[in-house]
Amino acid sequence: MTTLHAPAINYLAILPFLFLTGAALFLLFLTALTKNRLSTKVSSTVAVSAALAGFVATFFQWFEINHHGAITTASHAIAMDGFSAVMTASICSSLVFALLIAHDWQGRERFNGAEYQMLALLATSGSVLMTQANDLVLVFLGLEILSIALYCLIAFNRRRLKSSESSMKYFLLGGFAAAIFIYGAALTYGATGTTNVLGISYFLAANHLLHPGLLFAGGGLMMVAFAFKVQAVPFHFWSPDVYEGAPTPVTGFHASIVWGGAYAAMMRVMIGGLGTQIDTWRPIFFGLIVLSCLVGAAFAILQGNAKRLLAYSSVSHSGFILLGVWTGTAAGLSASAFYVLTYAPVVLGSFAIVALVGGVGDANHELEKYRGLARRNPWIGASLAVLLLSQLGVPLTVGFVGKFSVLSATINAGDVYGAIVAIVSACIAAFAYLRWTTGLFADENLDTPPLVVPWASRVVITLSVIYAIVFGIDPGLLTSIASHASLIFQP
Amino acid sequence: MHASLLLPALLLVPVLGAVAAMANRAKDGAAYAIAVTTASIELVLSFVTAGFYKNTTTGFDFSSSHVLSSFLGLRYSVALDGISLLMVILSSITVLFALLGARDRRREAAYVSWQLLLLAVTVGCFVAHDLLEFFVFFELILIPCYFMMTQWGGANAKAAAMKFFLYTFTGSAGMLIGSIYLAVQHQHEFGGAITFDYTALQQVSTSATVGVWLFVAFAIAFGVKSPIWPLHTWSPSTYAAAPTAAGIELSALLSKLGAYGLLRFGVALLPTIQHDVRPVMLTLAVISILYGSFVACTAKDLRRFIAYSSLAQMGFVTLGIMSGSTIGTEGAVLLMFNHGVITLGVFTVVGYLERRRQNVALGDLRGLQGPMPVLAGLFTVFMLATMGLPGLNGFISEYLILIGAFTTHTWWALAGTVGVVGSAVYWLWAYQRAFHGPVASADAGLSDVSQRERLVLWPIVAIVVALGVFPSPVLNRIAPSVQHITASETPGVTK
Amino acid sequence: MGHAAVLILVLPLLGFFAVLLNGSSLKERATGAIATLAVAASFVATVVAFVLYLRHEGPVTINLFTWFNAGALHVPAGLLVDPLSLTMCLFVTGISALIHLYSMGYMAGEKDYAKFFLYLNLFVFSMLLLVLANNLVLTFVGWEGVGVCSYWLVSYYFDKETAASAGKKAFIYNRVGDLGLLAAMFILFTHLHTLTYTTIFQSTSLLSPTDATLVVLALLLAAAGKSAQIPLFNWLPDAMEGPTPVSALIHAATMVTAGVYLLVRMSPVLALSADGRHVIAIIGGATAFVAATIATSQKDIKKVLAFSTVSQIGYMVLAVGVGDYTAAIFLMVAHAFFKALLFLGSGSVIHALHGEQDLRKMGGLAKMIPLTMITFLIGWLSISGVPPFSGFWAKGAILTNLYTTNRPLYVLGVLTAVLTAYYMTRLFVLTFRGQARFSTEHGQPHESPLVMTLPLVILAVLATLGGALDLPWRHAHSLSNFLGASIVPVGAVHQSSGLQLSLSIVDLVAAVVGIAAAWSLWRNHSERPSLEPAFLEQVWHWDGAYDATIGRPLTAVAGVAGTLVEDQIIDGAVMGIASGVVSASKEVRKIQTGYVRHYALAMFLGLGLIVVYLVARVG
Repeated sequence: MTTLHAPAINYLAILPFLFLTGAALFLLFLTALTKNRLSTKVSSTVAVSAALAGFVATFFQWFEINHHGAITTASHAIAMDGFSAVMTASICSSLVFALLIAHDWQGRERFNGAEYQMLALLATSGSVLMTQANDLVLVFLGLEILSIALYCLIAFNRRRLKSSESSMKYFLLGGFAAAIFIYGAALTYGATGTTNVLGISYFLAANHLLHPGLLFAGGGLMMVAFAFKVQAVPFHFWSPDVYEGAPTPVTGFHASIVWGGAYAAMMRVMIGGLGTQIDTWRPIFFGLIVLSCLVGAAFAILQGNAKRLLAYSSVSHSGFILLGVWTGTAAGLSASAFYVLTYAPVVLGSFAIVALVGGVGDANHELEKYRGLARRNPWIGASLAVLLLSQLGVPLTVGFVGKFSVLSATINAGDVYGAIVAIVSACIAAFAYLRWTTGLFADENLDTPPLVVPWASRVVITLSVIYAIVFGIDPGLLTSIASHASLIFQP
Repeated sequence: MHASLLLPALLLVPVLGAVAAMANRAKDGAAYAIAVTTASIELVLSFVTAGFYKNTTTGFDFSSSHVLSSFLGLRYSVALDGISLLMVILSSITVLFALLGARDRRREAAYVSWQLLLLAVTVGCFVAHDLLEFFVFFELILIPCYFMMTQWGGANAKAAAMKFFLYTFTGSAGMLIGSIYLAVQHQHEFGGAITFDYTALQQVSTSATVGVWLFVAFAIAFGVKSPIWPLHTWSPSTYAAAPTAAGIELSALLSKLGAYGLLRFGVALLPTIQHDVRPVMLTLAVISILYGSFVACTAKDLRRFIAYSSLAQMGFVTLGIMSGSTIGTEGAVLLMFNHGVITLGVFTVVGYLERRRQNVALGDLRGLQGPMPVLAGLFTVFMLATMGLPGLNGFISEYLILIGAFTTHTWWALAGTVGVVGSAVYWLWAYQRAFHGPVASADAGLSDVSQRERLVLWPIVAIVVALGVFPSPVLNRIAPSVQHITASETPGVTK
Repeated sequence: MGHAAVLILVLPLLGFFAVLLNGSSLKERATGAIATLAVAASFVATVVAFVLYLRHEGPVTINLFTWFNAGALHVPAGLLVDPLSLTMCLFVTGISALIHLYSMGYMAGEKDYAKFFLYLNLFVFSMLLLVLANNLVLTFVGWEGVGVCSYWLVSYYFDKETAASAGKKAFIYNRVGDLGLLAAMFILFTHLHTLTYTTIFQSTSLLSPTDATLVVLALLLAAAGKSAQIPLFNWLPDAMEGPTPVSALIHAATMVTAGVYLLVRMSPVLALSADGRHVIAIIGGATAFVAATIATSQKDIKKVLAFSTVSQIGYMVLAVGVGDYTAAIFLMVAHAFFKALLFLGSGSVIHALHGEQDLRKMGGLAKMIPLTMITFLIGWLSISGVPPFSGFWAKGAILTNLYTTNRPLYVLGVLTAVLTAYYMTRLFVLTFRGQARFSTEHGQPHESPLVMTLPLVILAVLATLGGALDLPWRHAHSLSNFLGASIVPVGAVHQSSGLQLSLSIVDLVAAVVGIAAAWSLWRNHSERPSLEPAFLEQVWHWDGAYDATIGRPLTAVAGVAGTLVEDQIIDGAVMGIASGVVSASKEVRKIQTGYVRHYALAMFLGLGLIVVYLVARVG
């Protein structure tokens, strides 16, 4: 009889994942053991501390990587490289923000208990897994952990029909996407004889495929799945409905936590693994970029609903990030990673405010509701203005730096047209943000009472605004981190 | 104070002033006092800078820099030559007198803070010694302007502001691409980290085609701000809708940013392709002059009138800059300053008029010289200065531009000279409309400019006259910098 | 002498500032006195400078400071004191002083009394700057300065639309002329790299004949604008909207002769281009004749004098054209005397008739305002060319030389002389003879006060004796000799004294014929439509023609540019793009149905496309 050898595991590499899942299970037990419902305070505290712990853990990963280099562990199924560390850090910090927003939201909507936190932790753990997954099977695993938890989160507000409707949509389409991915993974395995990303890249580096059709199909299919998660046109259709339907704290998840994982996996697989075939993927990327940038911007300017507007704007931003991936260069990937770093806090800050304005039952998301906000709550209004202008890409905000880094990488990779498309879309989208911003300062709805801003939201908003301005003025720290965010191997 | 601290001080003082003003928004009038003080300090500082400034051969002085992100090539890097110096002085003068001459008490703290920030950003543009940094400030200008227009502007200011923002934002999009492209070229040519350093980028040797494309990208960005025909249509609506102070700053400063950029980056950064683009640019300049003159005669109100007059005036500036002649370029730089000062004056006068009778539609202004002779007199001074009456500052700059352009591009210069008649026609037309003829009974009782209002304008009049009679101090300071630029341009044209 | 020359310039400026700063507080008299004294002092300074010059000999340049330098262009603020500038200064300051004095009476009680003298002093300063400047750019300063002062003074009664428009018209016509001066400067600088007179004259050899001709024609354009010559002459009659002293000073004696001065000043350049001079001569002759014909049919006393001015300046330009510069200056001076006299006289008449300017409503004034009548009579005889008055000698000098240099133009000149005598006689008769036709509702006409009549007397004396400046038989010790130092003559003309005598007789006959004809025709008529055809009264329909060919077309262009091009085309394009984006988005938006099946379909279409592409790539 043969004994099964458990592969050697570097626990530092999976520490953030362990924290998150561990906290989730801990909360599960806690709810099972305690008689009456767990108070949100406790569950939030546990979840936030877990997220923070994960965040801190990435620092140790970072030093480890910088001193002893990137590694793979668990029989090469999990990678720990600068890239994964940066993305994990981004995801964990985003989770902190998301949880804080959710904390106030739960208070408002009277959702006691730990379910929300549990699901959030699980979803995030899936995302973290995706950033490190060095094996298609593990990518799929992360994808599913993330998605399933997300379905539940979106449907979380059972009192709202829209909530469950949008969850259902997302679930159906997400199902397709998952199926497409697994099929693509299978074909890739068929073409290369391995599901390990590194293995794939070594194989492709070593051999010349006489009949690349199988591989092409596999890559194309996986790409569709990723495109679905990052809301790239034409796989984005779910996003406005889901953004609108989902509870606002959950909406914040997408452009921060989900993107973190999805983009990381996409880059690792498509560039790290199938990078040798970059010339094949580029046209597909380019199509996605053009469509995402323009359609996202063009639809954003028509929206009268804050959440739908942000949905389309995130579609447009997704186009920018894809631009960096599309270059296939290390600089490009760093630029994209940087863009995610800059975008996540800003978008979360915006959603914190949207959640506040939305009020009980996510009732007020029309842009009219924002008119005169800066007159009622000067600081909130000003903060939202800053966050919106950052998304618009005004200099001295991170938004500008992010856009600039991607454009710079693109042009450096020798393509001006992609950059032009992107910047045109930015000019179109500007209208949407401006209209919103202008409304904030209008002398209207002065009779409506000012918003009550709970401390948690206040923290999120303040931090995100500071982040947007400080790193907008001196992005040196962020950029140097991002510039070290490299894949363990890139052909 | 050490000289190298001057430029950072010039950048920081207004920002601190803005913060202080906001901090004291509760106390009535405190913010205004702070703002005026800050602007005065800035003016003093800029003159101190002028005092320290040495005309070194390359013309750049006080340079200091600090890398913010080597990965992106993002640097803080400032330096100043005669041209920037003149523009910095113009900026501080403009904002100070806009504050004095066009006070607006609605949410005053915020209003003056925006103006101070505008000042900081404008100065930033003029002292930036790095293409990317310049772009940052160049774009940032839009924010204060936008907020001032939307929150303090007149009728349908929001629409005008949106048009202004989107138009200029889109206009400079190409410049960002172009700048990055140039920096990338530099990196490919000389290796090393990506940089947008001005002097470094001057070394780049681009192919003619690329060079022309880059120039086009830049020229569009600057042509919108300047404005150059046909990229001007945002300006009439903007001037009409902006609150007076913002209007003053828009007309006096923003247009200069365009012209300054064209000279500093369009011409000096791409010297080799000038002879390819000159015919087009000169033609556009001449069209701006003549077209502006024509359309000014159909302007609905005095503010739109100023917008079209500025179009014509900036046409002269473009003519001088693109003429490739040292004399013409010196004239252009001088006219940038002069036009700024004159517009400041005219716009302030119009603002005074609006304080007394709400609208300034040329249709229903009549015989105002009767009730308000002094106001009419002040208006006349600025009118004559714009028309290039010798003895006032407008003349010398216009004259240098034309004679300089004549030596290098005779026919364009001659066509531009016709604009001299044009300016007389539309200004006298407007003056007769507004100030001559029998006064309407409703306006008969209008009060003339008060003592305080006069005090604001005397210094401006003084500048207008002084620079008409003794322009040498200014000309001598800009001459080396201008010669440095024109010398770098393609030979073949007689300077 | 340098100091004196500077004083000439500075004193009126001081007067200007004195009035500017105290005009509002001082009494009328005081203001007028300050202004008048300033100019009078300037006259004294001129005399001093003149005397000193006669001792010192030779032109002097006085550099005050560097005005501006740019590249190769060096423009000093410098004065050139030479016979020409001195001659100009003498009569400019002298006559200005007299007219200032006259204005103190004439403008008494006007609303903007102080402002009037403010402008007047500034005008004198500009005029002196114009003639004293040692380079073209500085001359241009004065050139524009007098222009703007004229604009202010013509539209002095700004609440009268006609006055306002007249001022505007004057300025714009002058601006058109300025194009010429600018162009001349540009060409000269491009080839000679200097704009200072003396250096220009030294380096004229560098100028190719074509360029020389271009410069001369450009200068002619400038002169035509400033001196009201064809084709830019028709602003001058409108300029009569200004107060009469202004018409006398600016639009008769001084400013309008600036064009002639410029041409004479540039004589070394004129010398290079015979063709250019020929054109000048033709323009001058034509203007002289055309204006004279028009003057025969004007009903407004000041309009008659205005066209007579145009005509007389035509003579001067004609003289310049044939290279007879001294004669031109001679007539300029004489004309300054008698035309100022006539205008001030007419002013006195208008004053007496409480603002009446229509000849048909005058007549029979001889008894009531005798002093005015007598002085006016002198002016009339002088301009008509009756010896021994100055006009006879001055005009004679021109015509005599013309006889040899250009026969056809000589004939034209003599015809013009006949017309001149004719219309002036008509003017005189209609004003002072015959029965009174004016209304006496404002009371009986009365003689003007001393401040007004004194200048009349002085000018009458000058108009009588002015001829002595340059008598044919003693050229050696006269104006022409004096001026010799600052002009480059074109081939001196030698005529036997016999010929000169006979030509003088021809002039005399011309004058007599004109006077006799007018006297007989107008003695007992106030209007004769047959002799006042509309064509002449309407100034040969000149304004109408301009309006039709230039005015209205350009207005139309402006209209099109302002509405169609600006709003529809250019801005239309901009807004079109914006709205295009929006409407396009609205169209595409329809695909966002909200039905999950459609979303799935879209996904699969996207996937399909990718697959198709990949298949194609595989081959």
